[in-house]
Amino acid sequence: MEATASITTAAAASTTKPQSSSSSLHKPYSSAQLPIKVSKLSTSRAHSRLAISCTLARDAEVKMEEVADSDPALWKRPDSFGRFGKYGGKYVPETLMYALTELESAFYSFKDDPEFKKEINGILKDYVGRESPLYFAERLTEHYKRPGGEGPHIYLKREDLNHTGAHKINNAVGQVLLAKRLGKQRMIAETGAGQHGVATATVCARFGVPCVVYMGTQDMERQALNVFRMRLLGAEVRGVHSGTATLKDATSEAIRDWVTNVETTHYILGSVAGPHPFPMMVREFHRVIGIETRKQALEKWGGKPDVLVACVGGGSNAMGLFDEFIKDRDVRLIGVEAAGLGIDSGKHAATLTKGEVGVLHGAMSYLLQDEDGQIIEPHSISAGLDYPGVGPEHSFLKDKGRAEYYSVTDQEALDAFKRLSRLEGIIPALETSHAIAYLEKLCPTLPDGTKVVLNCSGRGDKDVQTAIKYLEI
Amino acid sequence: MEKTCNIHTAFLNRQLNGGFCPATKHITLITSIKRRIGSSQTVSSLVTRKTMNTRTLIDRRVPSEVPMPEKFGMFGGKFVPETLITSLNKLEAEFIYALQDPEFQEELATALRDYVGRETPLYFAQGLTNYYKNKDGEGAEIYLKREDLNHCGAHKMNNAVAQAMIAKRMGLKNVVAATGAGQHGVATAAACAKLSLSCTVFMSADDMEKQSSNVLLMKLFSAQVKPVEGGFKEASSEAIREWAGNLETSYYLTGTAVGPHPCPSMVCEFQSVIGKETRRQAMEKWGGKPDVLIACIGSGSNAMGLFHEFIEDEEVKLIGVEAAGFGLDSGKHAATLSKGEVGVYHGAMSYLLEDEEGQIIRPHSIAVGLEYPGVSPQLSFLKDTERAEFHSSTDKEAVDAYLRLCRLEGIIPSLEASHALAYLEKICPALPNGTKVIVNCSGRGDKDAGMVHNQKFCIN
Repeated sequence: MEATASITTAAAASTTKPQSSSSSLHKPYSSAQLPIKVSKLSTSRAHSRLAISCTLARDAEVKMEEVADSDPALWKRPDSFGRFGKYGGKYVPETLMYALTELESAFYSFKDDPEFKKEINGILKDYVGRESPLYFAERLTEHYKRPGGEGPHIYLKREDLNHTGAHKINNAVGQVLLAKRLGKQRMIAETGAGQHGVATATVCARFGVPCVVYMGTQDMERQALNVFRMRLLGAEVRGVHSGTATLKDATSEAIRDWVTNVETTHYILGSVAGPHPFPMMVREFHRVIGIETRKQALEKWGGKPDVLVACVGGGSNAMGLFDEFIKDRDVRLIGVEAAGLGIDSGKHAATLTKGEVGVLHGAMSYLLQDEDGQIIEPHSISAGLDYPGVGPEHSFLKDKGRAEYYSVTDQEALDAFKRLSRLEGIIPALETSHAIAYLEKLCPTLPDGTKVVLNCSGRGDKDVQTAIKYLEI
Repeated sequence: MEKTCNIHTAFLNRQLNGGFCPATKHITLITSIKRRIGSSQTVSSLVTRKTMNTRTLIDRRVPSEVPMPEKFGMFGGKFVPETLITSLNKLEAEFIYALQDPEFQEELATALRDYVGRETPLYFAQGLTNYYKNKDGEGAEIYLKREDLNHCGAHKMNNAVAQAMIAKRMGLKNVVAATGAGQHGVATAAACAKLSLSCTVFMSADDMEKQSSNVLLMKLFSAQVKPVEGGFKEASSEAIREWAGNLETSYYLTGTAVGPHPCPSMVCEFQSVIGKETRRQAMEKWGGKPDVLIACIGSGSNAMGLFHEFIEDEEVKLIGVEAAGFGLDSGKHAATLSKGEVGVYHGAMSYLLEDEEGQIIRPHSIAVGLEYPGVSPQLSFLKDTERAEFHSSTDKEAVDAYLRLCRLEGIIPSLEASHALAYLEKICPALPNGTKVIVNCSGRGDKDAGMVHNQKFCIN
């Protein structure tokens, strides 16, 4: 375990941004460094923040809370402090508070602005290629039919067809447009495997904005092609030599840069993690996934989906699909994390299954930590799910029982990768393959005709070399 | 056996050319030419001024009583051994039937929308447009037709999925294809996986090495990839041989717009969705038609896909850009329409790169998808009737264009599409202010990043 003391106060606070959905981030504050011991929090109602919302009622406060508690329509996601229940918040040094507040008010003021919406929608349509189809996976459906011929109907939301090949770009576009309106002339990001870096570099090239991507020199060696792609797109890729020269160190550098240049620079965060307003903002930029899905489901079968399935690293693609349907109690939400070499092996990234509550990258959420509150280095074959934390809203949905979270091993994901390629002629990202793998366990339990929509969050061309090492092809 | 595909046509050419006077473009009547070369027969054709009219010869929808035109002027035809004629006739009948079957059309439309991801956007390239503005701020407006956003990253899928559906309709279980760069192989393998057809792809052993990631993709889709000694033309010959040996159970899925009738027409029809969407999108965006259409040309499938819709709109300029490799005079290029001569290749009469003895010249381009010594007979016809113009870009110009689009628009184009983009350098300075130019961005270039990075190939 690296010494967390080496992390500067400035560095740890922030949010990092990963590859596809998320990736392994460095160690944050250890709970020992914080003034408050937060590693073991009770989940009792007394700590619930819901009591802050102003609702007058004749009935007892506790009863009101119960109602508010169980009705998704009344949940504050987030509340004015940036909290989802007790999760979320803004655990950052003072220097960043202003930037975050400015970002939040800019977001709120522009999000309903017709000019802004028109510009974003235009880019999403003509540049990114939306709307992405809702594709009926006939052979996959056939594969899961039981001997009597019954089984669920499986649909794939084709985020893999987006420009750059993943859902990531929805958010990159939104954030760059917003940052430009704020007058920021420069964008920064950090990246592990390179996917988020490429999406960021792409959008910055499109808008003619200088872009700096921080990447650990170790990662740069392993991902030389992605480094070249980012440079092709005009981004400056800065190698970070300190520490283990991987993602967590790149993050520290990026934060240092942001703190230094906060007036001119925007930090493009790629997932629904990090301090408020990022979890909310990134979710809003990805909401288009769920909004389209509702419309397409209505067109295709005149109803809503019954089950939504998505992989969870940081949680952005899942929140993008789920958000629209959270108030629909009859829609089941299922998130699938990476169980790596097995949930009990110690080598996994199944934060919501095995983690405990703590603060990571500026937000309170579930995270993988040991008894001393030190971050456990996660593992997954898919770089995008290799993240020891998770978005605070997912932690909230888990506690509320609104969403269910499971996990799938590396091997199961590889098998699913092969299965979808063979049956549908679509090569999914290894991240997405985790969601597809979960169908093996889910489908036998579903009644005939259940409509399952799975978020095909990215294409897997980038993973072919990795997969070949493990699969016999 | 080789000769059935590489037909020695020098004598035939002289016969045909004897009836064509380039100076005056006056076509004389050529009475029936029945000539046996090996086991194939040339098809006799009456070529008159009247029949040179593009309107009558290139149809879009064919009523069932009228067969599809086999030839475009003197180009096209069915130069194949007898054994294949029946299969080709069956294919043509099935194709015509499918075109008129509303169920097939609906199924195809759904596949194109939900599987391939159509329609593809017509994207206004602000960065490129600004780059080509002159000092007074005037210049053409450049739009990109985003075929790079299709499933599998190129326009190839439009045709692969449609033809795979035809194969299924015909009850054929095995699909055979040949591929050069691998793009067509990948698209075919993917479509076959989706439609549960078995797929065998023939690929040159050299190409398999250079495009190993595409080979992996095909295998992931459960296709069998068989190496062939030689280049793409040898791979095609092997594929046709395989097909010819199993006519009852296999379907030859062509990706190029070359081949015996009805192949060019089929590929053109299935790719024409590009042009149809473009017309509608242009109308929505600026209430008019495009002024200039530019597309790269290997065999011509993406170009025909874009152009076909607008052939009858004489005011729309059609520009095809081929690969000039190391330069048109270097002998290392693939500029068939600029430097080729008329002959028969892969069952069709068209322009092709051949030496004085009628042997096919091995083409070169940094863009493997453009390395094709033949070209679509329809494009040959458009050249001779001067309906379209053809130019070429060198390897270096293409790489520069590739880098330029990355930097200006954040889109990585394929090296093939980069040839079309490179031509903007020459044409834009001459275009009046506000000219609407549409370039077919026929594929994405992630596959080429490695090559550009390594600079494996010598660029002049």
